[in-house]
Amino acid sequence: MALVREIFLMVSSIINLNGTPHYVHWHFFLMSVPNVVVIVLMFVVFGAALFLRAPGSKRPGRHK
Amino acid sequence: MSSWTGKVREFGLRNLPPERLFPDSQPAYMTSAIYLFGALTIGSLVVIIASGSILALKGPAWWHVQSIGHFFNSIHLWSVELFFFFMVIHLWGKFWMAAWRGGRARVWITGAVTFIIAIPCAFTGYVSQQNFDSQWIATQGKDGLNSLGVGAFFNPLNFGQMYSFHVLLFPVLVIGLVSLHILLVRRHGIVPPIPLADSVGPVTAKR
Repeated sequence: MALVREIFLMVSSIINLNGTPHYVHWHFFLMSVPNVVVIVLMFVVFGAALFLRAPGSKRPGRHK
Repeated sequence: MSSWTGKVREFGLRNLPPERLFPDSQPAYMTSAIYLFGALTIGSLVVIIASGSILALKGPAWWHVQSIGHFFNSIHLWSVELFFFFMVIHLWGKFWMAAWRGGRARVWITGAVTFIIAIPCAFTGYVSQQNFDSQWIATQGKDGLNSLGVGAFFNPLNFGQMYSFHVLLFPVLVIGLVSLHILLVRRHGIVPPIPLADSVGPVTAKR
């Protein structure tokens, strides 16, 4: 558990969790920055998944 | 075949023969990483159920008083985050594949209903945290739920009710629907890509 505590301390020293929350606010759109980051990350992973190959799959056209 | 057990066996073997229930190979078209996100969602769900079972046995206040409780609470939280992350990407992928084609409407419907049920399942978990965050979410959520007319039997300010929903009713529904979803996928097979003629038009398809 000491290692877990060390990791928590390291992360919390990088990210200030004690400050005021940050939001993206544009007209009617209001969303916290962490939620925006997660949604953007989902789009990135979705786009990457379309082009990345599934592990163990064979390249089309190379079957004999 | 007269007995009900025999009929059930016949039904199971007819609809889900062993080679279809436990296949040893995947279709040739399953080459993109987008096909992995259903399995990743199931993996997250397994971690959710395992960590949630431990938390349920130790009680909802455990994570406030012991670091090991905090550890399992964090495992539970982050596996839920990953569950929704993977499930949404799985949903996007299947939507753009039109995965309801070829008699797969029930596969699509069970997946969509699972997504809808998973939302109140997570909501009841957030209001079961027993901290200021859960109080804030409950007091903010009650007005919206009351406006829907469900406040009489679904009250976010009632901790016992929310906790019961979270550890029993919703998990049973989610596990049941996911199990049905997987069995239907096994029965109908993974949806093949949209034929080229349908996607890019007859001119390109003639080549």
